[in-house]
Order: sequence, then structure tokens, then C-alpha cells
Amino acid sequence: MALKRSVGLKGLRYRGGGPMLAWSLHRISGLLIIIFVGTHVLASFFMQQTASDLGTNLNIIYESLYFQILIYFVVMFHGLNGLRILILDTWPQLLEYQREVTWLQWLVFIPVYGLTVFIMIQHAASSG
Amino acid sequence: MQVTLKIFRYNPEEDKKPHYESYKLEAEPTDRVLDLLEYVKSYHDGTLSFRRSCAHGVCGSDAMRINGLNRLACKVLIKELSAKKITIEPILGMQVIKDLIVDMEPFFENYRVVMPYFVNDEPPPKRERLQSQEQRERFDDTTKCILCASCTTSCPSFWANEKYLGPAAIVTAHRFIFDSRDRAGAERLKRLNDAFGVYRCHTIFNCTVACPREIEVTRAIGEVKKAIATGKID
Ligand code: FES
Repeated sequence: MALKRSVGLKGLRYRGGGPMLAWSLHRISGLLIIIFVGTHVLASFFMQQTASDLGTNLNIIYESLYFQILIYFVVMFHGLNGLRILILDTWPQLLEYQREVTWLQWLVFIPVYGLTVFIMIQHAASSG
Repeated sequence: MQVTLKIFRYNPEEDKKPHYESYKLEAEPTDRVLDLLEYVKSYHDGTLSFRRSCAHGVCGSDAMRINGLNRLACKVLIKELSAKKITIEPILGMQVIKDLIVDMEPFFENYRVVMPYFVNDEPPPKRERLQSQEQRERFDDTTKCILCASCTTSCPSFWANEKYLGPAAIVTAHRFIFDSRDRAGAERLKRLNDAFGVYRCHTIFNCTVACPREIEVTRAIGEVKKAIATGKID
């Protein structure tokens, strides 16, 4: 009998390279954004409606520097990558230059992200 | 040079589960992966099963995963792999019949949905149906498809659901939709504007990377998406 169709983890081992990585990161970052926003809403709810410390604790995590740097990465990547896909979808003739467009995406991402993280750390260091 | 071929093996008559077998052989850097497979079949184990026909990248029979990437065994040279250990597995997302042979029927079922033939019921002119060079150029890229299924079986959307028509079927649709002589473009676009049609493509580009004919597969899909969205074939 033929072996049943099953992909599962074998799919993760497929060596699609950079574009496949960008797609996976887009999915993961989308999921993380939902979790972050969910946590934020939950924290506000606990702060306002209950007397427990849960809300405050969640907020402490949420507002910590490391968490902020991670959130910023996720949101910025998701936004820029989404923009790249929107542009390519609107002008399919550009799909031929998808490698160059991906480079351009990182060319925008790295300085903007790096600079912001630098300012965040500087701010944290001077106020803490 | 010495290379080790690690090959996915599955014999439906004996094995419950697939396993890998390794073969050490002498190879020239200019040998193709297909040559090594033939060698293993001739001198190590005659039961090793794989498809091949033309051995020159034309028939599309021997698509397989070579070191984790869909390629044609007859087109990949050992020196291109820059590895002494070569892992060979069947293409993903299909039922494995034996060793490297998969059941291609679901692939061809999807292919048939897009009407992969020329449609024009208008009375034929005295001579051929003329076309300008630009009109011919418009769909030149997608005429190159050899139906090896490298693109479709590299696509995560297809892995997730085999009902997704897949890149190869859309490439074929593109070849006819943008042909100025064809008259069934609207019908094809209607069929592709479906839950399992073009919008399952999430521009992952695995198909473009995998295509042994260097077709701009994602671009072709993008053009079909745009034709559906704008209602214009241009
Ligand atoms: S054997 Fe025909 S394409 Fe490789």
C-alpha cells in the first residue's frame, strides 16, 4: 500500500531559503502580535476590574525593555514585510525582482530598527 | 571523489515504515545525481525505484528532494551540491508508492481543472491564427513548464491542502489565459478565483526557487491574481 500523504515537520526541513524564512517569520510575528495585544487587554482588564496584582505584574513584563525591543521587532517586521507583499501583489511585474525587494526591505529595517533600539536603551540607561 | 548517497527507501510489500539507506560510491564531480542513482540500481540494489525517462531535463519525470530542495536528478551535478553526503527523498505532499516514486494523480487532477488546452471555437482562418511577436512573448515564460511538480510540491500551501490547485496548474492556466488566440481565459479565471485557487498563494517563492526551467512562477501567479482582481487580461 502506498505511504499516506504526510508533510508535518518534514516541511520545516525544506530548504526554501530566505523567502521561505520571511514567510514563516511573517506568520510567527502575526501570532505574537495577537498574543501581545491580548495580554495588554487582559492586563488593563485586571487592573481596572479586580483587586489582584495580576494586571500590574503583566504590565511590568509588558513594559520591560527586553519585551519592548522584541515587540518592536515583531511589529516592524510584520508591517514592512506586509508592505512588501502588498507592493508585489499590486505590481506583479516586480515579482521578478523579489530578491532585490527583499534586500531593500532589510535595508530599511536595519537602520530604523537599530536606531530606535539604540534610543530605547539610551533612554532606559539615563532614566534607570 | 567518494560520496555517500543517503536514499529514502520504502517497499510497500515489506516495510511498515520508510527508512533511509546509505551507499558509498566513487563519483566524478561532473556526474549527475541521476548517474549515481543508476549506479546504485545497477550495482548495489536492483530494487531501488525511481522515475526517469529523458535524462536531459525535458520530460520532468525525476523531480525529487536532493539535499532538502526539489530538483531534477538529471540536471544536478555532484559538484554543484558541494557536499560529500547527498540525501535523496521523494517530493513532499504526495503518497509514496515505492522509494522515490510518488502518486502523481492528485497533481494531474489539479492540472486538468484549468483546462490545459487551447480553446477557440471561432472558424479557423485560411492559414494559421496570426500573433505578433509581442503577443507571443507575453506568455513565453510559462510555455516552458515540463510538469515535473517541483514547484507544486515545494509549496507550503499545497502541503497544507492538496486541493490547492498549486503553482504548476496556475502556470499552465497563465500560458493559455495570456495567449491572444485563446478564448477560454474568462472561464479559467473563474475556476482560479476559488477557495482553492490563486489566493492560496502567499508569495513564499519556494516554487520559483524550485523550478528547474527557471520559470518566474510566482510572477505568473501574481499576474493571474491581478487579472482576476481587475477583470482585465493585459
Ligand atoms: S529524466 Fe527527464 S527530466 Fe530528468
